Formats: sequence, structure tokens, C-alpha cells
Amino acid sequence: MSGILGGEGEHRLLMGNEAIARGAVEASVGLAVGYPGTPSSEVIQTLSRVADRIPMRVEWAVNEKVAVDIATGYAYAGLRALATMKNAGLNVASDTLMSVAYSDVRGGLVIYVADDPGAHAGMEEQDNRWFTRLSLLPMIDVSDPQEAKDAVVMAFELSEEYEVPMLVRSTTRVAHMTSIVELGPVRELGRTPGFERDIRRYTRASPKWCMEQHERLNEKLKLLSGRVDGFPVNRLHIPEDGAERGVVASGISWSYLRELLDRYGLWGRVAALKIGTVNPLPRGLIERLIEGVGEILVLEELEPYLELHLRAVASELDLRPNIHGKMDGWLPRVGEYTPELVERALGRLLGLELERSNREVEEARAEALKQAPRRPLPLCPGCPHRGTYTAMRMALRELGYKDGEFIVTGDIGCTILGMHPPFNLCWTEVSMGASIGLGIGLRYAGIDKPIITAIGDSTLFHAGLPPALNSAWHRSRIVIAVLDNRVTAMTGHQPSPTSGYTATGGEAKVIEADEVLRAMGIEHIWVADPYNLEEAKEAFKEALRCDGPSAVILKRVCALVARRMGLVEQPYRVDPERCTGCQLCLRTLACPAMTLSPEGKAEIDGEACTGCGLCAQICPVGAIGRPEP
Amino acid sequence: MIREYNILIASVGGQGGITLSRIIARAAMRMGHKVIVGETLGMAQRGGPVQSHVRIGSQVYGPLIPEGRCHILIALEPVEALRAARYISPESTILLNEASLPPITAILGEVSYPTLREVVEALNRIGCGVYHLNAEKLALEAGSKRCLNVVMLGAYMAYMEAERLKIITMEAAEEALRETVPSRYLEANLRALRLGYEALMKSMSSSAY
Repeated sequence: MSGILGGEGEHRLLMGNEAIARGAVEASVGLAVGYPGTPSSEVIQTLSRVADRIPMRVEWAVNEKVAVDIATGYAYAGLRALATMKNAGLNVASDTLMSVAYSDVRGGLVIYVADDPGAHAGMEEQDNRWFTRLSLLPMIDVSDPQEAKDAVVMAFELSEEYEVPMLVRSTTRVAHMTSIVELGPVRELGRTPGFERDIRRYTRASPKWCMEQHERLNEKLKLLSGRVDGFPVNRLHIPEDGAERGVVASGISWSYLRELLDRYGLWGRVAALKIGTVNPLPRGLIERLIEGVGEILVLEELEPYLELHLRAVASELDLRPNIHGKMDGWLPRVGEYTPELVERALGRLLGLELERSNREVEEARAEALKQAPRRPLPLCPGCPHRGTYTAMRMALRELGYKDGEFIVTGDIGCTILGMHPPFNLCWTEVSMGASIGLGIGLRYAGIDKPIITAIGDSTLFHAGLPPALNSAWHRSRIVIAVLDNRVTAMTGHQPSPTSGYTATGGEAKVIEADEVLRAMGIEHIWVADPYNLEEAKEAFKEALRCDGPSAVILKRVCALVARRMGLVEQPYRVDPERCTGCQLCLRTLACPAMTLSPEGKAEIDGEACTGCGLCAQICPVGAIGRPEP
Repeated sequence: MIREYNILIASVGGQGGITLSRIIARAAMRMGHKVIVGETLGMAQRGGPVQSHVRIGSQVYGPLIPEGRCHILIALEPVEALRAARYISPESTILLNEASLPPITAILGEVSYPTLREVVEALNRIGCGVYHLNAEKLALEAGSKRCLNVVMLGAYMAYMEAERLKIITMEAAEEALRETVPSRYLEANLRALRLGYEALMKSMSSSAY
């Protein structure tokens, strides 16, 4: 009952992102391409496992813009392409997306973007619904896995009918929720690719053509606008006897609302409009709601997008319904909605006390929660970054720099975990590849401290190469530390250009960061093994003494990948006779495979230890070792 | 027809909490129930807290258990049960693995870490019934610490039998296990299921609760 392959009418338990993948299968997508990013990564991952059986070309691109470029070329050739990305990924892809909006795509082109209210993945709470206003592109916002699958199929049909790229948006809650999905039929396309020269469509360089294209895009939207009221993602419920109050809901809020209306038997008391098309909006349904009720609650996460548009429609109709949402402070603009938040707002709208709260229970809960200490996010046992950051600290200390006398700019991915104790190294985290440009800017500002920019290999290839080139070009005095663990680790170990294999496990060219950086004009480069503290420390010391740009490549495969590939080395052991209980290993490395025995001696969990050997290098009395193999 | 039944699985990243939610959801689907699973994990695959919400029933639409509406909390780590406090109420029952996983800050004595007894007392103060067993020890007995999650599933099966709850049957649980666990680990997991079942059966028949 698992897996996305299967016949029409079968039922599967699918995660939102798996349902998106199934939608791509049903729509006979020929190419799925993306860049890993929580909470979107599972779409490509799921497809990569079945790609050879469909068949479909499934790939990770070096970044989201390249993914959309490739998908666009594929769609220009008359075939169907899906590009996937996380919320901030759309920023990277937007350069292409804004332009392609003006092109008539011949094959279907669908961009799937997963937003993250609540910042679970540690990036901005960017509300990508606004991209529809910037690009004018149509967007479907989905509420559950079934709808996610159906939306992808519909988006491809619409994309071809109107020759326009379509956006499908979800949020973490939907992308990572699992529920039962009924499979639909797989469409047979049987197309042959073709592409004809038509610069009136495929270039923007002529202002006249460009504006014609802009006009055409607006016309497409107008045509589509006349149909969206009838789409199943938009639904208006009005009780038989009418209602004085109504609720508008989208995304996950719709699920919370439905559950409350079922639980408390409120369907007869309130009108409910579910909105699934962010652009164009279901104008007719919105008008009917506004004309039917005097008071409306709007449930949408992040920005008051629907609320603003609702107010605009009301104003055009010259009606003044009382609209509640974010603009009157009923609901927050920050964070994700919870069932409780929605329950309170609904209760307030209907003047009902829905929640039953028991003060004693609430106090006992708060007391229990208080007793649970925070779990700091550690590096995994055997993580090569532990060696890198330990060696970086050692090098800086040996060169006489104290905390505050050097700067480490951080980047996106597992590398940022170096900001936490015991390393306390990364100072900044801005966007993919930004560590390097920030370092250059700090140097230009006149800061004379050593500046190290810490960036992973996948992040370097994603957006770190242009700023690295810039540093070589202008001879900026920074140390680029490439924490090269041979994969895109944080999002689930997807292949990066260093891996040597593709998303579907095929062979790929291995791109080495040191060779690329050298070719870009960075002359001083060291390659070191982060499991060898002495070697890595010396490399950092040399690099820190350089007058121009330098780089240290810390090369060692991610420990979780090594474990999966069976590359784990024999675990280390602590000799309790020799251990003095100084705790230096634990305090320096914070390795989750280590603990203290009741006697206060260091101990290593043999099942968790990957044999990296850092603790043995740290131990001042040689108490940690392993039997010779 | 079940209207709403909520199972919360609280764990630390790497303990198999998410896999356990998958197994239970697949078993529930085999039983013909409507089922929804939600996860709160963030970046937490790396040893952070993970909460999986398995929701069963015809009136369930959202992926998160609303405050206080958890029927059964399966905690793979004692302190993670405390972290899930907002979801439980006096009507909830808690199945607890006794073996704790203190974070580095607690190991180094920088923060205090509650003992099993303190955890159980705090949960009792909310009004919940608590059963606990050393699932880690039983998992090792079954073949690997990694079977800890399935030991807890076994305990849950025993609890359901004692309470005459028919959310999922042993057959459905075993089939879901076969569907989820790689075949080379299946034998150990089936042993773990049995050991967890027997351990809770025994402790329920001997305890007053």
C-alpha cells in the first residue's frame, strides 16, 4: 500500500510531497528537476526511486534557477517538465521565472514550491503567494495530499491549455503530512519533441514584442479567471437557511476548520469558502460570500493575502462586511497556525466557548514542560564538520586569536551547526553562498580580523562560485573554508557535483572544489582531511597567513552516508583505567556517541560511533583507542 | 466507526519514531480506518525532538493533534513525554521507554535532567496513567537497539488488548511491519514486537493501575 506506482482507483498512504510526485506520474511528466530544500525534497527523491520504471528523467540541478532553466527548455520542446524547490529556492529561480512567464510554453511547465510557516527548516517565513502578483503567474495552493496530487495533474492541463507556467504551492504542514490518496489514471501523451525558432515568443529583447507578450499574459489570466470558480480546489458552502457569518480558509487552515465544523456540528451555522487558486482568485465565489454574510473570518498563514483581496472585492461591491484576520489583530502574521488558534478564532466569530480549559491540568502541563531541558542540535557522530570546526579553533588559538578577534561567516546547510556550542564559530547565515560575499564586504569595510567563510560543497556549487570568483578577481583577503562532505547533507543526502552519482544512482562526473576554485584564480588552496586534526589545523594556519584569497577544502564524506554505504570504521573505546574523567573530549567535541559513566569516565556507544577518531586525538592521556584490525 | 483517535509518538531523532508512525498508520489503513500522520521535526533528524501525530477516524482532517486530545502517547524517551505535555490530558495514557537519552548539556551537568521517577510523577500530576518498560534493553535482546520503536509498538498492542481497543490487530501490525522494515531486519523486529508485548502484559497484570 506504499509507493506511488499503482492503478487508477487504488488507495495509497502518501506524504504530501509523495502525492506531488504521484501527480507528476499521472500527468506523464518527462522531466522532474529541482534543488534539495526542506520541505520540498521528497518529490524528486520519491520520483528518483521509480524513474526507470515510468520512465522519467529525474535529476538534481546545481540550483533552482538552473532547474527552472532546464525545465523551461524541456517544455519549449513540447514535453512536460516539473521543477521543485523550497520557499527561498523560488527567489533563486525567479530570474528565469519572471521572464518565462511572458513566453508561451508549449509543453506543460509546473513549478512546485513548498513554503515554511513556522520556519521549521530555519529560513525566512517567505509567503510565496505574493510571487503571483510579481510574476502574474497562476498558482494553486493545496490543503492535503489528495488535493496536492490532483492539483499537479490539473496544473499541467492548464499550463498547456493556456501556454503558461503554473505554480503549485504547499507548506511544510501539507508537504509533510501523510494521508490516504486515491490514485487517478496515468495519462498517455506519446509526444515527440520539437522546437521552432520564434523570437517573437522566446526572446524579450524587443520592447514591442515584450509588451505584446505582457499583454498576452494578462489575457491568459483573464480567460483563466472566468473558470476558476468551478475548480474543485475552490468550494463555497452556504447553509440551507443562509448564515450571518462566514469563514474563508486556505491551505492547512482549511483542514483545521473542517475538523472543527464536523466536531462541533457547525456546518449549518456558518458559510465556508475554501480557496485553492491564489491566482486568479475565485472572484465569483468571493462575491457570493461577501454578498451573503455580514461578518467574515479569514484563515490563512503568514501574510494577509486573501484578506486584502477580500477587502478589495468588498470595496468594489460597495459592501462593508466586518472582516477579521490579521489586519485587525485577531490572528498573527508570524508562525504557523495551530488547531487551537483556529478554534479560538472560530469561537470568537461565532460567540461560542469551544475550548474547555481546565486550569489545574494546564498548570500541570506547563510544569511538566518546564522540566524538559532543550535539546541542542548536535553534529552527528562522525560528522566531518566536527573535525573542521575543532581544527579551525585550534589554528586560530595557535595563531594567538581569541574569541571576538576573528570572524567566521556561515552559510546554509549542516555547516551552520558550527554556530552552536561547543564550537560557537559561525556568526552569520544569510542565503545560499552569501558567506563569501559577506566576508568580502566585511573586509572592504576595513575590518582587519581574520575572516573565514564556512560553506558546504553543495552550497558552494549552488551560489558560492560567483562570489568566490569575485574574491579572486579583486584579491580579497578571506579564507574560504569548503566543508566538502560530498553530498547535500542537511536535506537528506542528495547527490551534489562532488558525489559522482546522479539522483537515480547513475554515474556522474565528479567535480572537485579545489580544481574549480584554482581555475577561478584562487591561488592558495589546501586540501585536508577533517578527521586529521593536525593536518586540517596546519592548513588553516597557512591559509590564514595568506595576503589574498585562499581556500581550505575539508574533504570527507558525510558520516551518515558513509554508514549507509558500509564505510563505517571500527568504533573507538575508552580505557576506564586510563581515563582521568577530565571531560575534554566531551567538552571539545560534543559527540552524541559519547557519554559519561556513573563513575565520571568517558564512554563511547559502540553502535553509534563511526570510528572518526577525533576523540582519540583530543584525549590528553591516550585513554581512547581501538584494537588493531 | 471511529470518529477521532489520536496517537502521539514522541522521540529523539534517530530513534525510529517516524518509522513507528508509518507502521501504525499502515496497520490502521489495513484495518480500513481513515488515517492521517503529521510530523513536527524541523531540522531535528540530527538528534532533536521529533513528534509524530497519528490520527485515526472519520472526523479527522488536520495533521496535528489538538491540545489535550491525545489518547495514547508512546514516548521512546522519558523526557520527550514531558515535551509533549500540551497534547495530553487526564484521559490520556502514556507508554514510556525507561531508557533516557540526555543531551550533552545534561551529561556535562550544565542543565538538570529529570529522572524516570520525576517524569512519571509530572505526568501523573496531569492525571495520566503511565506504563513504563525498558524498551532499550528488550531491543538489544531482540537483536539491536534500533528495534526500540517496535518494542514500544508491541507494548502498545498489549495495552490495546487489555483495554479491548480494536484500533489495529496483531496481524495488521505484523503486516505493516513487513511492509515497512527491510527484510534483513524483519526477524529482529518481530522478536522486538513480541518482547514489548509480553513485557507490558506482564507489568499490567502485576501493577495496580
